[in-house]
Amino acid sequence: MTVDYHAILPELILAGTIMLVLVVDLFLPARLKWGSMPIGLIGVLGSLVAVLTLLGDERATFGGAFVVDNFAVLFKVFFLVAAVIVLAVSRHYIDQPGYYQGEYYFLLLTSFLGCLLMPSSRDLLMLFIALELVSAPGFLMAAFRKWTVTGVEGGLKFFLIGVLSTAVMLFGMSLIYGLTGGKTRLDEVAGALGKLDASQEAMALASILFVVVGFAFKVSAFPFQFWAPDTYEGAPVPVAAFLAVASKAAGFAGLLQLMFVAFIGQHEFWVPIFAFLAIATMTIGNLVALQQRQFVRLLAYSGIAQAGYILLPFALVTTDQAVNQQAFASATAYILIYGIMNLGAFAVAVALSKRSPRLLISDFAGVARVAPFLAVGMTLFMVSLAGVPPAAGFWAKILIFGAAISRGEVLGPLLAAIMVVNSVVSVFYYLAIARQMIFQPLEDTTPVRTPVLLAGVVGLSMAALLFFFLLPGTFSRLADISTLVA
Amino acid sequence: MTAQEYAFAVIAAVGSISAIAVVTARNVVHAALYLVVALLSVGATFLLLGAEFAGWVQILIYVGAIVILFLFGLMLTKAPIGRDTLDNTHRWVGLLVAAGVFAGLAFLIQDAFPLDAEPFEVFHGSTSVVGESMFRDFVLPFEAISFLLLAALIGAIVLARKDEGN
Repeated sequence: MTVDYHAILPELILAGTIMLVLVVDLFLPARLKWGSMPIGLIGVLGSLVAVLTLLGDERATFGGAFVVDNFAVLFKVFFLVAAVIVLAVSRHYIDQPGYYQGEYYFLLLTSFLGCLLMPSSRDLLMLFIALELVSAPGFLMAAFRKWTVTGVEGGLKFFLIGVLSTAVMLFGMSLIYGLTGGKTRLDEVAGALGKLDASQEAMALASILFVVVGFAFKVSAFPFQFWAPDTYEGAPVPVAAFLAVASKAAGFAGLLQLMFVAFIGQHEFWVPIFAFLAIATMTIGNLVALQQRQFVRLLAYSGIAQAGYILLPFALVTTDQAVNQQAFASATAYILIYGIMNLGAFAVAVALSKRSPRLLISDFAGVARVAPFLAVGMTLFMVSLAGVPPAAGFWAKILIFGAAISRGEVLGPLLAAIMVVNSVVSVFYYLAIARQMIFQPLEDTTPVRTPVLLAGVVGLSMAALLFFFLLPGTFSRLADISTLVA
Repeated sequence: MTAQEYAFAVIAAVGSISAIAVVTARNVVHAALYLVVALLSVGATFLLLGAEFAGWVQILIYVGAIVILFLFGLMLTKAPIGRDTLDNTHRWVGLLVAAGVFAGLAFLIQDAFPLDAEPFEVFHGSTSVVGESMFRDFVLPFEAISFLLLAALIGAIVLARKDEGN
């Protein structure tokens, strides 16, 4: 068997960078420990260049278990850009006494290696290992503030629930392996599941449910959402950004392939489950978010609500391929736009965390007077998360809404209506942040020093959101990525 | 019934009883020792199926290394070892959920694979076959797992290390 090294070049470059970060850290003196970050950054950019050379290619290697296509390339570009942003945001936050910087960057990059593998994995085994490679360093990074009670509690909760759901998912995968007669490739699994008789089909449906549990935890869907607020609050803010964006997007990248490729034949069984998950997740996320006083907790509940919106297209699957492709494209677009606006919001939170370490929403009063740039950025991110123009979040919501309406029957418009009601509710808490920053009197006159890296990240995210808002035509290119939907 | 099936019935009974004992034991050290028996019977099941590699790995890694680490962990962290330290107020809820899942899965599995069904062709997973496929077809997952273990190792050291100052 020959290996297509060009196809796995981005992963190889990142893997090399990870080892380099680990070794170089040994030789860095204490005050230069942050030096791992630029090394990681260069490696991530190198990997990004390698991904861009694969643009438009269709490659398969390792017997079809690892595939590079438009879907994979799009997600890889997204993950690497997210890696650049999380690295940039971490630089000043982590450079404080008590943090193990070299090990932190090592774990962060290892998690991103899992993210890169995820959209290319077309095999149950690869999907499982990629998901674990994203999660395991995440468990450890979440507990990095081990001198605080919240840090340890959040990390432990994340770990215990994560391990439990992983075990359930792996059990489901093992049952599918048995039922399909030893198939692991996603397209072969789909074929074998279609040929089962009625009694074995019931077993297969239960196994699919088990597999969904593992991913529902990863994307913090109801009823596996309650770890998220505690974990995000206890973790270092850049780690919370990583968990809320990259780790969640990786979970969705895996879930999209599983549901739209491997388990598509059983959609009549799982469509009602996803409809329930989507409604419950977005409603609970939004209602609890209304009552939050701490900003990172608010973002956690907002992230749960947003996961509900992304789960909605899964409930739109029918036997019509065109409808499925539209649903697939709208979910992908939402994940990517969600990533940009959430990373921006976390970057502002990191910038303000030096001034008010507890990040209470009341601490943000009048910040526009001392940090106008951050306040404008935050307002745009909040507007985008709420799905109101002028930001790309508006188009992301419209795409899902359009997919739901064009599916028709009762379920599509019903889900669309519930989504609109939820979006209206979310406007209250998103815009409350903007109001707090702009219209409330300033209480704490300490000036805010924004490092260049953070300002750059905030500016870049704002530019991206405005760009996609003004040029919605870019979304029509998404049809190219849904070719893998059967 | 063949000799293999008799052997399986005995191993399954021993394994199940010791697995229940793991969660009902009042003493953590006893629970760990019951776990040894439960894991040994899993290993024996693999051997019975002709999967010699998986069977011996199960015994070497789980029985030989992981449970021993448990016991060392209990000893070194001075965890409360005595009676009643494992009591849990949710035990009836846990029992109910466990019984429900067991009943549901037992029903589904015997429905999907009835006892009188045609037996599967037993695949003899000899060590050389496993090794060849691991380093040929599955070399990418193998490398990914190596990174996973390295990250777990380093992260665990960071978290377990006692810092001065903080």
